[in-house]
Amino acid sequence: MALDYRKCAEEIFSHLGGRENIISAAHCATRLRLVIADNSKLDLKALEDVEGVKGLFNSNGQLQLIIGTGTVNKVYDEFLAVTGMTAATKAEVKEAAASRMPLWKKILKTPGDIFVPILPAIVASGLMMGIVEAIPKFLPAFGGTDWFSFLDLVANTAFALLPVLVAISAARVFGGNIFLGAVIGLMMVHPALINAWTVGNYAPGEIPVWHLWFFTVQQVGYQGHVIPVILAVLLMSTIEKWLHKHVPEMIDLFVTPLCTVLVTAFCTFTIIGPIFSVFENWVLAGAQWLITVGYGAGAAIMGAIYPFTVVMGLHHMYNVIEAGMISSTGVNTWMPIASAANFAQFGACLAVAIKCRNRKLKSVAFPSSLSASLGITEPAIFGVNFRFMKPFVCGMIGGAVGSLIATWMHGTNAAGEVVAFGATTYGVTGIPGIPAINNIPMYLLELLVASGIAFVLTTILWKEDQPEEKKEDAPAAVAEEAPAAPVVISCAAGKVYQPVKGKVIAREDIPDPTFAGGILGDGVGIEPEEGVVVAPFDGEVTAVMDSKHAVTLEANGMELLIHVGVNTVNMKGEGFTAFVQEGDRVTVGQKLLGFDRDAIKKAGYSDTVAVLLTNAEDLADVKCGLE
Amino acid sequence: MKSFTYTITDPVGLHARPAGLLVKAIKEFAGSTITLAKGEKSVNALKLMGIMQMGIKQGDEVTVSVEGGDEEAVAAAVEKFFKENL
Repeated sequence: MALDYRKCAEEIFSHLGGRENIISAAHCATRLRLVIADNSKLDLKALEDVEGVKGLFNSNGQLQLIIGTGTVNKVYDEFLAVTGMTAATKAEVKEAAASRMPLWKKILKTPGDIFVPILPAIVASGLMMGIVEAIPKFLPAFGGTDWFSFLDLVANTAFALLPVLVAISAARVFGGNIFLGAVIGLMMVHPALINAWTVGNYAPGEIPVWHLWFFTVQQVGYQGHVIPVILAVLLMSTIEKWLHKHVPEMIDLFVTPLCTVLVTAFCTFTIIGPIFSVFENWVLAGAQWLITVGYGAGAAIMGAIYPFTVVMGLHHMYNVIEAGMISSTGVNTWMPIASAANFAQFGACLAVAIKCRNRKLKSVAFPSSLSASLGITEPAIFGVNFRFMKPFVCGMIGGAVGSLIATWMHGTNAAGEVVAFGATTYGVTGIPGIPAINNIPMYLLELLVASGIAFVLTTILWKEDQPEEKKEDAPAAVAEEAPAAPVVISCAAGKVYQPVKGKVIAREDIPDPTFAGGILGDGVGIEPEEGVVVAPFDGEVTAVMDSKHAVTLEANGMELLIHVGVNTVNMKGEGFTAFVQEGDRVTVGQKLLGFDRDAIKKAGYSDTVAVLLTNAEDLADVKCGLE
Repeated sequence: MKSFTYTITDPVGLHARPAGLLVKAIKEFAGSTITLAKGEKSVNALKLMGIMQMGIKQGDEVTVSVEGGDEEAVAAAVEKFFKENL
């Protein structure tokens, strides 16, 4: 009896109260997870009766339809096609569900939400660019080769057209159509506009303008800009959503996109773009004043706030200051400050990479710190430091001290004369900046101080259970030992590592007929030596019993029950602690539950822990017991 | 569709073991789809994890619906199971 996925998706959709009532959709191994705007518009009764829907939960703003392994993804694909939605990840659904957070928090979160998804593009380009630009410093001949020009083009693509990536990502965050978002981004770097990087070559009067009503718009692109792009897409998404709501459905398809793009384009070039340029100019004028004021104090402040300007996407504009310095004095004294600030972010990010236990975070933090050491700090700042805030602040402190030192130093120019400490070029910081600097030992000292301070401070002050990763307070010892824990159950879908230290016994030997008889599934028993249950795999906590003596987890289609003791439900939570809650993502070795073995014994129960795959019969190749 | 409501009397509620017994009992009626509901939540009674996630306690009223197969007979058998075990 094959399920008609299309029909199933259509029927589900018909009971959801219209497209506007669905905020986002995702699926896990068995469930279709929808975030619903207004629950009262749902027809739950009818949803349950849809063929293919095996059951449903509706809690915390998330509607979960149980469809089943292997079919849920197909129904999901059809559902997206039926509704015209784009795929959301499970994390995004959770974010949407959390959309009731205060406004200021949302605003702080937005840059990260926009930049984290485009990290792969930034990391690839950033690393390549750092390397490609550094080679000619050592091998001047390389700069003239075809290879250099080719690699340079490949490396700078993502940066040259960054507004497009930002616009697409922002459209997703703000709930607009991502293709319309792409149009806005592309428009802002349209080849027919004068490139923002080269606009300095034009005299003010030479730049062509448009006269649009009472606006005079310079025909200049927005290469290297971030804020006007984000604001433009925010405006676009707002207009688009408003129109969807108010335009009659019959003409919605062509009226809404047309009006959205037109109005957004006009506002972007006439208001958002120019206003932002002025804002940018203020930042630059302020920066130039800062760097020259008071015995290095200004430079220290600049070194501290530099990463903030990276967050706002303004740092590309420093190239203008730097170019001005080189053309007037031959020395770019701004670059040591930027280097100190960037290298300090590298130090902070490296500290996170070394200290964190979350594998996913580690796999982001290491390459990000490498990229930062080459002067490309966006991955480190957006992907790691700014997310957790503390590493970012530690990096600011390191950057400030490094910058302060830089102002006390001197360099020598090509003719051997003593000049201000600085670089002969711009656009490179960190390690690739070495060949450009006029006092290499001092430069290395400065970098070492900046990154060292950031690294040490971050190591001391930052704890992994800070902002986003909640309740990850497993002591290092547990985490380190856990991966070494033996596998107690294995099947085609994955492995279950021993969650509790102690003697592993056969399921049949668990002192309870229900567990022993396999009614709850297949697995093993453990006679515990320690009152701690840790995650047996990377997965999601699907339930924690009220009485905190049992927890269920899910990963890759495996549904696992860890039940501490026999009849311990009667203890009503006395002597048990839960470290996680429903919906938490956990990594192998992370603490789940704590239990007091003496309390269980005192209550007269066995403390044998049952570890059971409750859906063992649906899984292939299940093997229980120590390997 | 045939359904009945039942108030849980088991002091520990519909917990791991009773839930396991229930699933085992339900499996014998492969021809019918049996749904367990409490308030707004409902779940296929074959899904052990689903049942446990509902956190059904003593005194909670649940609705059991049977669809397909010999609905009358299956509902009666399931109701009997509830009365005897839960």
